[in-house]
Amino acid sequence: MASLRGRTLARALRSTKQLRPTITSLTPPMNPTHQTRTHTSVSADELSHFSGLASSWWDPMGPSRILHLMNPLRHEFIASCLSEGTTEANPDPTSANLHYLDIGCGGGIFAESLARTIPSTPQSQAPTPTRAASMTAVDPSTDLINMAREHARMDPAVHAHLQDGRFRYLNTTLEDVLESKTGPVVEQAQAQAQYDVVTLFEVLEHIDPKTSSPLGFLSNCLRALKPGGWLIGSTISRTLPSFILNQVIAEAPWPIGVVPRGTHEWSKFVNPPEVKGWLQEGLMRAADTPTARGGAEQVKGMQWKCVGAIYIPGFGWKMVPGSEDYGNYFWAVRKGV
Amino acid sequence: MRPISRAVLRPYVCQTCRHGIGAGRRRFASQADSPDLYDVVCVGGGPAGLGLMAALRASPITSKLRVALIETQDLTKAQAWNLEPTQYSNRVSSLTPSSVAFLRQIGAYDHLDVDRVQDYQDMQVWDGQTGSRISFDWSMETSPFEDPRAVATMTENANLVRALLRRIAQSGDENLSLFSNSTVASIETGSDLKPEGPDLSAWPILSIKPTGPGESTPKRIAARLLVGADGINSPVRSFADISTHGWDYGRHGIVATLALGDLDIPPFPASKRTAYQRFLPALGGPIALLPLPNNNATLVWSTTPENAAYLKSLSTPSFLAMVNAAFRLDMTDLSYMMGMSSSSDISHQDELTWRTKHTVLPSQIPPPATAVQEGTVASFPLRFRHAAQYVSPRVALVGDAAHVIHPLAGQGLNLGLADVASLSKTIQYAVSHGMDVGDLLTLERYSSERYLPNAKIGGACDLLHKMYTVPGEGPVAWARSLGLGVVDRLPFVKSFLMKNAEGY
Repeated sequence: MASLRGRTLARALRSTKQLRPTITSLTPPMNPTHQTRTHTSVSADELSHFSGLASSWWDPMGPSRILHLMNPLRHEFIASCLSEGTTEANPDPTSANLHYLDIGCGGGIFAESLARTIPSTPQSQAPTPTRAASMTAVDPSTDLINMAREHARMDPAVHAHLQDGRFRYLNTTLEDVLESKTGPVVEQAQAQAQYDVVTLFEVLEHIDPKTSSPLGFLSNCLRALKPGGWLIGSTISRTLPSFILNQVIAEAPWPIGVVPRGTHEWSKFVNPPEVKGWLQEGLMRAADTPTARGGAEQVKGMQWKCVGAIYIPGFGWKMVPGSEDYGNYFWAVRKGV
Repeated sequence: MRPISRAVLRPYVCQTCRHGIGAGRRRFASQADSPDLYDVVCVGGGPAGLGLMAALRASPITSKLRVALIETQDLTKAQAWNLEPTQYSNRVSSLTPSSVAFLRQIGAYDHLDVDRVQDYQDMQVWDGQTGSRISFDWSMETSPFEDPRAVATMTENANLVRALLRRIAQSGDENLSLFSNSTVASIETGSDLKPEGPDLSAWPILSIKPTGPGESTPKRIAARLLVGADGINSPVRSFADISTHGWDYGRHGIVATLALGDLDIPPFPASKRTAYQRFLPALGGPIALLPLPNNNATLVWSTTPENAAYLKSLSTPSFLAMVNAAFRLDMTDLSYMMGMSSSSDISHQDELTWRTKHTVLPSQIPPPATAVQEGTVASFPLRFRHAAQYVSPRVALVGDAAHVIHPLAGQGLNLGLADVASLSKTIQYAVSHGMDVGDLLTLERYSSERYLPNAKIGGACDLLHKMYTVPGEGPVAWARSLGLGVVDRLPFVKSFLMKNAEGY
């Protein structure tokens, strides 16, 4: 129901797929001319979708309102994950030393709110249980990154973090973030794994399984994660109730609908078991090196969390365990230590 | 009004025109020197504003916020306030148990001088026209073996303000600025401090000037959240361009501190105190006598401006006679005494003594008022106001800036404290969830929690006022006495009403 920013990311995935033959090989082979045609037409569609949304992204009463309302729940879900363990051996609840990567940050609704919790000096006490030390937010859309930067300047505290580099908006893709780590091939895996928490909110359901691979994408997300770190996301399940909620009701005309028409495609939604399956496979692939393949031992230390979230007009979002099949849900996976 | 109207109008306004709609406040961008940044700036140092500061300082989540308070009066004087133990200020409020719970929670209640505070466990309310009566106490909720629970707690406002100031002082002065003896010279919108600085074009910038003689350059501070606790003519509300609706009741409230005689039958248990309120439809409003320590009481008499002027012109013995008459005599007798010429041979006291002999006295009446504390008789106009909304981007209104109601239920200060409790809780939630405390998404949590309850209580007081100012024995009088009788006999309805009035 509440996801807008993932579209550009899905587009980026498709474009990066062409740059990275390893990922393309994972997807079913297809006619190149057909693929190009689909790609360009989808891009145009997404661009027009976003040029309409970009100006109202931060309007609390605008089309992204439902995402804004969901944002506090993301903090709560992350806090509940971190309470089960972090990358540190002995986590100190008062020190802010977790490094975050937000993939597909869009206009920065989550990234900016997390950056606000970074203490003014690195030595200060962590003000929230999310204990952020830094935030790197990436999105392939230049428009959205510019808008996100512009909005972050409106809060002097966040602006200060942008200045001192503890909060970064990068107009790039996940693959480029990983690629920028140079060095000997064997050490590259360690260099890539530099984040304690990687977040992926409302992104998965915008990936078209026909043209791009969620598995390859999730493997890359896991590569960015330190051992013991969390990959946390939210998405929508593909069930009959979610079809009625997200396609019929949520995209209905005003005043019933709460998201702009054309935001979601039900066929792209993913169910919790699918995400879990990809992540298990992804953990093994993330451990691949040019000389060896990651095995089942990678999955052993994995921790999996999943909880549904329901939006009730007039009351807002509520986490309801067991409601995963009705629509929106949060999921998280912890990489084995 | 700005963001909501924008969202509603969006489908009907063409794209190029949309930019113009929200730009109104940005025209007043001031010079580009960077102001001092604060997270919460509260204008007004009354019980609501100080309550907010104390609550923010008390919570470990919000105690790190940079906060400021601006008050025209001298806060040092207010903190050093001291009266003789036998003297009581005439500005007294009744705190409901939920207000007391809030003050305890933020650690301010411990700083209250409890010798100057009086609980009461019983409240007698009756109709001077029909004699129908209702009594409020918690006896239906509590066992007869425990001490009776307080219906409300009377405290002087100065005592409460002093307690809040002491609580704030106790929290230290780190990240705290109290601008005492200062006025807000202007509130403007900030500017974009390009290229290195942040964009403050949506932030309110206040110019603060010390009162009193002497030229001094005003200090400029920027507020992430500007809180208007600045009363009925709130400058913060005008800055935010929030309209307010309401009317004047055409009534004045007379207040005074009185000394009472003894009750004919001593109260049981001995610590039990009673508040009395009698509706006087013929005189335009109720009279109430609320207990203070050592058998003192505070008077609140709502009546027409003419009657108020007449009462204030009377000599002390005549004023006391009128107060005692108002709790005892029939409407006709009272109306006659209200018109007695003060130069006539017969005094008000003689008239009362003579007329009391010929009147069947109501069953539960307060002990006679025997003395007026000098200089405490005063009056103020009664008004109803309700702001169209409590929040706008980076602005929130609390207390009288948001709502002014009829004092007949003694709820005004309690609504203000409930606002402050809700706003401080909202700010805590925002800080712990990475939200901007001045963002509309944060503030709408506060306004959705408080707008309806305040409208409900304000509306109920307004309705009671209107029902009890209809004189004579008509259908309205019949209906209200039936209603009162029914409520008094149905304990669950009564306890529901009391819990509502209490704010639970």
